[in-house]
Amino acid sequence: MRIEDNIGFSFRALTGARGRSWLMLLAMAIGVSSVMLLTALGEGARFYVNDKFSGLGTHLLIVLPGRSETTGGPPPLVGGTPRDLTLEDALSLKRTSTIRLSAPVALGSAPLSYGGLEREVTVVGSTAELEPIRNLETQRGQFLPAMDPRREAPVVVLGAKLKQILFGNEQALGQWVRLQDSRFQVIGVLSPAGESLGMDVGEMAIIPVASALRLFNTNTLFRIMVQASGKEAIPRAKRAIKEIIQTRHDGEDDITIITQDALLATFDGIFQALTYTVAGIGAISLVVAGILIMNVMLISVSRRTAEIGLLKAVGGANNTILRLFLTEAALLSLSGALAGVLLAYGIVWLAGSWYPDFPLIIPRWALVAALMVSLGVGLLFGVLPARKAARQDPVQALMG
Amino acid sequence: MRVTDHLKLTLGSVIANRLRSFLTALGIAVGIAAVVLLTSIGEGLHQYVLKEFTQFGTNLVAVMPGKTSTFGLSGAIVNNVRPLSLEDAEALAHLPGIESVVPMVQGNAAIEFEKRTRRTMVFGVGAGVPEVWQMKPSSGKFLPDDDSLHARSFAVIGSKIHKELFQGSNPLGKRIRIGGESYRVIGVMESKGQMLGFDLDDAVYVPTRKAMALFNQESLMEVDLLYASEVDSTALAKRIRQLLIKRHGNEDFTIITQDQMLETLSDILNILTLAVGALGAISLLVGGVGILTIMTISVQERTREVGLLRALGAGRHQIMGLFLGEATVLAALGGLAGLILGAGGAWLLGLGIPALPTHTSWDYVLLAEGIAAAIGLIAGVAPAWQAAQLDPIDALRAE
Repeated sequence: MRIEDNIGFSFRALTGARGRSWLMLLAMAIGVSSVMLLTALGEGARFYVNDKFSGLGTHLLIVLPGRSETTGGPPPLVGGTPRDLTLEDALSLKRTSTIRLSAPVALGSAPLSYGGLEREVTVVGSTAELEPIRNLETQRGQFLPAMDPRREAPVVVLGAKLKQILFGNEQALGQWVRLQDSRFQVIGVLSPAGESLGMDVGEMAIIPVASALRLFNTNTLFRIMVQASGKEAIPRAKRAIKEIIQTRHDGEDDITIITQDALLATFDGIFQALTYTVAGIGAISLVVAGILIMNVMLISVSRRTAEIGLLKAVGGANNTILRLFLTEAALLSLSGALAGVLLAYGIVWLAGSWYPDFPLIIPRWALVAALMVSLGVGLLFGVLPARKAARQDPVQALMG
Repeated sequence: MRVTDHLKLTLGSVIANRLRSFLTALGIAVGIAAVVLLTSIGEGLHQYVLKEFTQFGTNLVAVMPGKTSTFGLSGAIVNNVRPLSLEDAEALAHLPGIESVVPMVQGNAAIEFEKRTRRTMVFGVGAGVPEVWQMKPSSGKFLPDDDSLHARSFAVIGSKIHKELFQGSNPLGKRIRIGGESYRVIGVMESKGQMLGFDLDDAVYVPTRKAMALFNQESLMEVDLLYASEVDSTALAKRIRQLLIKRHGNEDFTIITQDQMLETLSDILNILTLAVGALGAISLLVGGVGILTIMTISVQERTREVGLLRALGAGRHQIMGLFLGEATVLAALGGLAGLILGAGGAWLLGLGIPALPTHTSWDYVLLAEGIAAAIGLIAGVAPAWQAAQLDPIDALRAE
């Protein structure tokens, strides 16, 4: 039998029993579309987090005071150290060519007041270079001016939410606000950028680092943010920072350096695993659909006994019959899979137009894998009924 | 028709088409097994996380500097202009209902013993740790209840520090240097293992005042309070708030009760379990479509039988009941098999990978079985209706 005949025969067999073919298509389509949607969710989450992380800045290195020797544990994110990471340490990093920009960051909280309103805010002390390093954008006015980081200046840049709370729709630029006991003039308002790594940029007040250190009466920096001069320079920058600080700290290696890439890779790995897991769970439904195909094919074989007998009587070999029924199973599962793929793309498109913030992306491997797996399932579960059909004795089969 | 006859007819048709019934039930069984297994893992995880959190005791209230309404990082833990002082912690200790208090600062420093050095976490704490955090020294004793102003330079080390720095030799009475200052080791803590990524054995405990001086900090990072079990945590949180507002002038601190935190955590984990269960339920849906398909075929095949029954005087309702019953029995049988598969799988998984906690919750099991039966019922409606609507005369003639 030629291939066209083979496919034509199977196709007519399927359209002959329309109701049940539709139901099997439905079962397969549900399975395939759920696998694809779940992968799309996982991939979407991965892209979302990646996006958030790269929003932090490019070629970013973060220097923290303190170092823990527990391997695999989290870095010492908060907490004191006997030897401070000082402003001079941060400035000394300027010596290496592997670093394009570096900004010291001092952090704390203090009450900020304007008029009769007071609010406890997160105060970030830094320099002008924080703006390009962290991809911050000012909506109004300007960021901290470029000046000697050792000098204080009574200027403050407010987060968008903070400005809204204290000033409402009034003009904030040029106004004087009070941070604890000192007066600061508002010179800029940040664009609303949302939350980043658990810290709300919208509720921050950014002041020059020297002013922040005086406000909190401390010498300790919370972090030093560093932008390497390029992607290849990141490992060299890491080594250079370590050497410079070690020399300054009497040969003691007491800092932790986190690279953005390492953080990203960790999260990427987690999300990848998550995507595979949910896709795997979804794939269970493909197996159930396969069982259904097998069941219906078995019934169909026993119904079409006479037909099989006739085919054999006019010279159809066992292999031909086997191929006929396998083609039927493959056609069923493939068209079900196609319907599932269309359904999945439709839902993704709909979701995309409703929630443009959260990207749903169907990765190409999921498309190929879903089609292959459903075809595989169809063939695998089709083997048993097809063999049963092929092995029938022609004489008995003809008698029905 | 009597109930027994009804049952006999239903079961008879299930048994007559043995292979077909088996495969249909198998579809449902796979779905139910997936749901049961996944919710078991979810529940196990739930209990594991709750245990991690309650290992520090349940009657806890934590007070932190800085006012925040979210769980996010507040700048106040690092620096603040209105510190939470040791005196605040002592005043809190005198509140009625409070049994013990741990004022805490935390940092990172190098610990030296003879020629060996290890950088690790340093906790500045009070004598209340064994009671409040429920961790006991395995040898020696914990920090004494000294006057906080004149605390002696004693240190208690975690079991990992003991292993790394002392390499098995007796550390009690030995002198170690923490950030350049000398301390006498008076105890070794029992091993507590990891807690959410933090290795609690890789830590050193020194008096709070000493740690504050070492890290040059004016404020505590946290005050942990243990309260008597009969005290209501909300009322206590209110008393703490009043006292601190009186001392500080305004509300520049955050109070988190353990109940509150556990509740939030529990909610999140429950949603997670439900979500993975729902993912498994997709297979159940496909299984339902399977029942629908098979029942439709079955009604077609048995048209003559239906005609005969109707000719003998069976009502439409009875015919419908017969087919509905068959669908439900198929689904329920599959569900039962799935339960055994799923629960057994969870049990085996628990045995094979002890690190992965599983717990089969009967609520979910019963829910899953109920859903299986319901799916059978719903999937059976259309075919059963079709059968009931058959005209007896046409049906008898059909072939």
